[in-house]
Amino acid sequence: MVRRYPVKGKKRKHRERYDEDAEEEQEQEKQMKVEADEPRETEVDDGQEQPEEAEEKVADVLQGLPVVPMETKRDMSPGIVFVLEKASLEVAKVGKSYQLLNSDDHANFLKRNGRNPAEYRPDIIHQALLSILDSPLNKAGKVRAVYVKTERGVLFEVKPHVRIPRTYKRFSGIMLQLLQKLSINAAGKREKLLRVIKNPVTQYLPINSKRIGFSHSSMKVVEMQDYVASISDDTTLVFVVGAMAHGKIETDYTDDFISISNYPLSAACCINIVCDAVRRHLRFI
Amino acid sequence: MAKKSAVNDSTKKKKTKKKSRAQPGAVAMKVKAMKPNNPFETIWSHRKFDILGKKRKGEERRIGLSRSRAIEKRKKTLLKEYEQRGKSSVFLDKRIGEDNEEIGEFQKALLRSQREYKLKQSKKSKYNLSDGEEDDLGFGGSFLGNDDFEEDMLSEDDGGAETTKRNSHDLEQLDAYNIRNSVETNVDEGEDNKRKSKKEVMEEIIFKSKLFKAEKVKDKEENKQLMEELDKNFTSLVQSEALMSLTEPGKMSALKALVNKGIPSTASKESFAMQKVDTLVQQEKPDSYDKLVKEMSLDMRARPSDRTKTPEEIAQEERERLEQLEEERQKRMLGNDDDSDEDGEDIPGSSSQKVRSISGDDLGDSFSLEEQPSKKKGWVDEILARKDEDDNDSDDEDSSEESDHAESDGDEEESDEDEIGHTKEPNLKDWEQSEDELDLDIDDEEDDEEAEDVDEEKNDEVSDGGTSKKDPTSGKSKGRDVDGAKNKVTNSSVGVKMDDKQVCNQGKSLPCLIEAPKTLEELNKLFEGHSNSEVMILINRVRASNAIALAAENRKKIQVFYGVLLQYFAVLANTKPLNFELVNMLVKPLVEMSMEIPYFAAICARQRILRTRTQFCEAIKSSEISSWPSLKTLFLLRLWSMIFPCSDFRHAVMTPAILLMCEYLMRSPVVSGRDIAVGSFLCSMVLLVIKQSRRFCPEAVMFLRSLLLSATDLKVQSNNASLFYQLMEERTLGPLLCVTGIVNEITPLNFLKLMGMSEDSVYFKSDNFRVSILANVLETIRGFLDIYGELSSYPEVFLPISATLLEVAENEKLPDELRKSLKDTAEIIKKKCDEYMLLRKPLQMRKQKPVPIKLVNPKYEENFVKGRDYDPDKERAESRKLKKLIKSEAKGAIRELRKDNYFLLGVKEKEQALLAQERAEKYGKARAFLQEQEHAFKSGQLGKGRKRRR
Repeated sequence: MVRRYPVKGKKRKHRERYDEDAEEEQEQEKQMKVEADEPRETEVDDGQEQPEEAEEKVADVLQGLPVVPMETKRDMSPGIVFVLEKASLEVAKVGKSYQLLNSDDHANFLKRNGRNPAEYRPDIIHQALLSILDSPLNKAGKVRAVYVKTERGVLFEVKPHVRIPRTYKRFSGIMLQLLQKLSINAAGKREKLLRVIKNPVTQYLPINSKRIGFSHSSMKVVEMQDYVASISDDTTLVFVVGAMAHGKIETDYTDDFISISNYPLSAACCINIVCDAVRRHLRFI
Repeated sequence: MAKKSAVNDSTKKKKTKKKSRAQPGAVAMKVKAMKPNNPFETIWSHRKFDILGKKRKGEERRIGLSRSRAIEKRKKTLLKEYEQRGKSSVFLDKRIGEDNEEIGEFQKALLRSQREYKLKQSKKSKYNLSDGEEDDLGFGGSFLGNDDFEEDMLSEDDGGAETTKRNSHDLEQLDAYNIRNSVETNVDEGEDNKRKSKKEVMEEIIFKSKLFKAEKVKDKEENKQLMEELDKNFTSLVQSEALMSLTEPGKMSALKALVNKGIPSTASKESFAMQKVDTLVQQEKPDSYDKLVKEMSLDMRARPSDRTKTPEEIAQEERERLEQLEEERQKRMLGNDDDSDEDGEDIPGSSSQKVRSISGDDLGDSFSLEEQPSKKKGWVDEILARKDEDDNDSDDEDSSEESDHAESDGDEEESDEDEIGHTKEPNLKDWEQSEDELDLDIDDEEDDEEAEDVDEEKNDEVSDGGTSKKDPTSGKSKGRDVDGAKNKVTNSSVGVKMDDKQVCNQGKSLPCLIEAPKTLEELNKLFEGHSNSEVMILINRVRASNAIALAAENRKKIQVFYGVLLQYFAVLANTKPLNFELVNMLVKPLVEMSMEIPYFAAICARQRILRTRTQFCEAIKSSEISSWPSLKTLFLLRLWSMIFPCSDFRHAVMTPAILLMCEYLMRSPVVSGRDIAVGSFLCSMVLLVIKQSRRFCPEAVMFLRSLLLSATDLKVQSNNASLFYQLMEERTLGPLLCVTGIVNEITPLNFLKLMGMSEDSVYFKSDNFRVSILANVLETIRGFLDIYGELSSYPEVFLPISATLLEVAENEKLPDELRKSLKDTAEIIKKKCDEYMLLRKPLQMRKQKPVPIKLVNPKYEENFVKGRDYDPDKERAESRKLKKLIKSEAKGAIRELRKDNYFLLGVKEKEQALLAQERAEKYGKARAFLQEQEHAFKSGQLGKGRKRRR
């Protein structure tokens, strides 16, 4: 039976805004920043108008020390986004409980079910996530978002301020819960730190962005730092890295497909290089 | 009836449907076969995610099929209700089992007949007249079969009592047979458990008890046999020699007695009473054995040792001993000199006393005299012993050698004095060694000269004493250094020993029990005409006879005595021909006493420091008098630095003392060579005092540098002086130390001699003196370098000094040795400064580290199970669960209602359609009829109309 009359109010389906609360927060933050920035700017202006006074003030405080200009171009950079493709995160019912499959613990189970144990490597995505979220780039707030797409096609988003568990066991616990419950909350808050979102990933990527895929198979071998330097500063960099043991990423949305080393690299190492290159490019330590 | 049949039909339909629902899998095919025309029923539901390891059972559904089933169900229930809605009466089928689908036809019939029968049996129907047919039907059935059989049996029972009797008899016989069977073969019991009668059971019990008894008897017999065997073995063992060798004779006899007692008892084993006796004896046996063991343990018991003596008791003993000695002395004074026998008797007595005073842990075999001194250490030695325990051993050996030597050549009269001497000897050696350690780094104004002097004196004394023995320690001390002021105590050990010898020869007139002198005059009177060693003995005796531990008022006495002694010390230091040895020896009693009365000692010292300071302030005002401290002050300062701890951060005596020293260095004008000597000595003393605490003392460093400057040519002065030296008051001394003539060797200075010289002595202007002072200054600087090595301002403090050192070293008239060491020192400073410079970093603005983004921990469960509520609040979780249930149920109900409505709508529409069709038909019929009529009318009643009429 069909509904005859439309129900009042909007349907929830039509407003798929995953980052609703986050965006609100961001807006609030922005406002706060603006508020905070304004007096600073006025100060600077004052300093420019009456440089002597300012100098005198400084001289009062410290003698013979150079006055360093304030860092203004801090939050202007558009940031970077990571997409980790083909992550081998699969939940299965082993025995009576559900578990995240990995090649070490479930080799027999996988063989029994006709799978190749070598393909089940959730530790790769664990390492990759750790290297992204622990990088100074992320600490400085440059990483905008991290998306992970599993081999089974489940896409989920990882907020950059998540503290991923350091041990594999805990990580697997989180992934297990995420894939079953579809979201992970923050401890003590209602904010969702990890959540499963709808495909395709392209709908979440910023418009003005350059999507760069990485593969050892690519013929275009570049020095990462030069490559980053060549891209204009106002484009968001989207790095698509494969988090699988074998094979290459097959994505249609990447603008560029490069190799950053003559050697085959692990996902974590590749991410480290990328992060370091971007960090050097942005010039902070 | 038509209705009924319709209902029946419907029920039949139901049956088939229900059956199919009961076994869905099996009938699915059938349903398909039945309704192949509905293609939707073939559709299966599919899963979105295929989860590995998850069972598919119950997951899959056929949506179309379930839908059609639901429709069917509605047809059966809802449609019925709908059809019945207008009816006032309902036909109810109350036949048994008609509703229940699962019961077959036959069963149904069975149930029905049963019910019928029951109704007949009830009381109400008792009087109902039965129809023949029905009765037959009732009893003819298979239900009554059993009853008939029972009735037969009953009739037999009624038949005769005899038969029953016989039967019972037979049963008995059978039972008896059975019992026999059971007795013979117990295996069969399990099989005929059911048939056991009471008698049988009783029989069984009796049999079992008998069996048990028999077993008991058997066990007893076995036990008896075993015991016999054991007894035999034991007697043979006792008589054998193996045991004899292992045990004592007394015990052996006891054992034998036991055995003899036991043998007759074993012989008469049969009687029960005898057996009892035997067991009694066996019980006694361990008691006697215990006695033996106890006796043995009693022999081995240790005796309690003597308790350790309290300090009061020791003091008391000492005093008693002195009293005794005094008495003897009085006797001797009166005349009887030949009391050596008595003395001889006394010595062992005293020595035995000594032995007793040894600690309780002693093994009791300490017959040798060498052990005693090591046991009777003073507190100073204990402290010092910690510092150089290693040296102790060798010292003890030395002392033992010496004591051996002394014993060999000493006569009996000496021995009691020897004791004292030996008790002190190791102590003083320890003292000396510690001093040596302290002074190792310190440079000395006067080196070997003084040492030689002292040695000479010593040797003289030794020769006086009549023993040509060369002290082994003197060589040692000679090798090192004998600083006049600092090592006052150095040779005292030797001195004291000599004293003992001297006393032995000449000091018989010393009183043994002395009241503590209350004034300096009394003390002077007491010490008048006595040699140094005698003075020492006197002091010791005063202390012993007025020990604080003896009486409460003695504290006062000792305090007074301490003050007087200190005064004596000061006066002695100021006398012109300096009795240095006595001063040196006075240190030990002073140090010990100030430990006994620390508070008083501190007060004394403070008062003296205060007075010295006021004197110094006076002196500095008038330029005629030299404001530099006198020998007395120096000696006192040194004494205090030995008495009180120098390393304390704040000390009632040492802090003002250090301040005073620094003030001397800062404020006293340097005019003559003597001032320089005193100043450099003060510097070295400051170094000694500061050494442990490593406190920074800029005055000393400044003074040393100014001394060095005075050794240069005065051409370049403090142009490169650092901030530190700018802050301090720079003073120019003039070229007091500038060496003009060529000096080839450095001669060590004798500070006491220097002090003895007048200010305008020629020696102070000689180049020799200057070179020696320079060497001394250099040594002191090195000491400071060592101490201040960790100061962060090291370069600032010492770089100018190194520059000055190099300047001084340029003077070619200096001896090469000195120049070399000057350069070395400068090099050391330079190296260290470079190190510091390397470590130093330029000033940095305190940089604010960028704040990293705040990380948030995700919340997750350890073993997550989907669907479980992980809310810690159980009630909330429960209520949420219920709410969820309600919601889902409500949803389901709504869905069902909606579907019902839809179904009903369909039905209604169908009805309406049917009605409409009917009406249309009727209408058509009527219309057709009318048309026909009209046609007939118009056509004149021809055709059909005619027929109908007929």
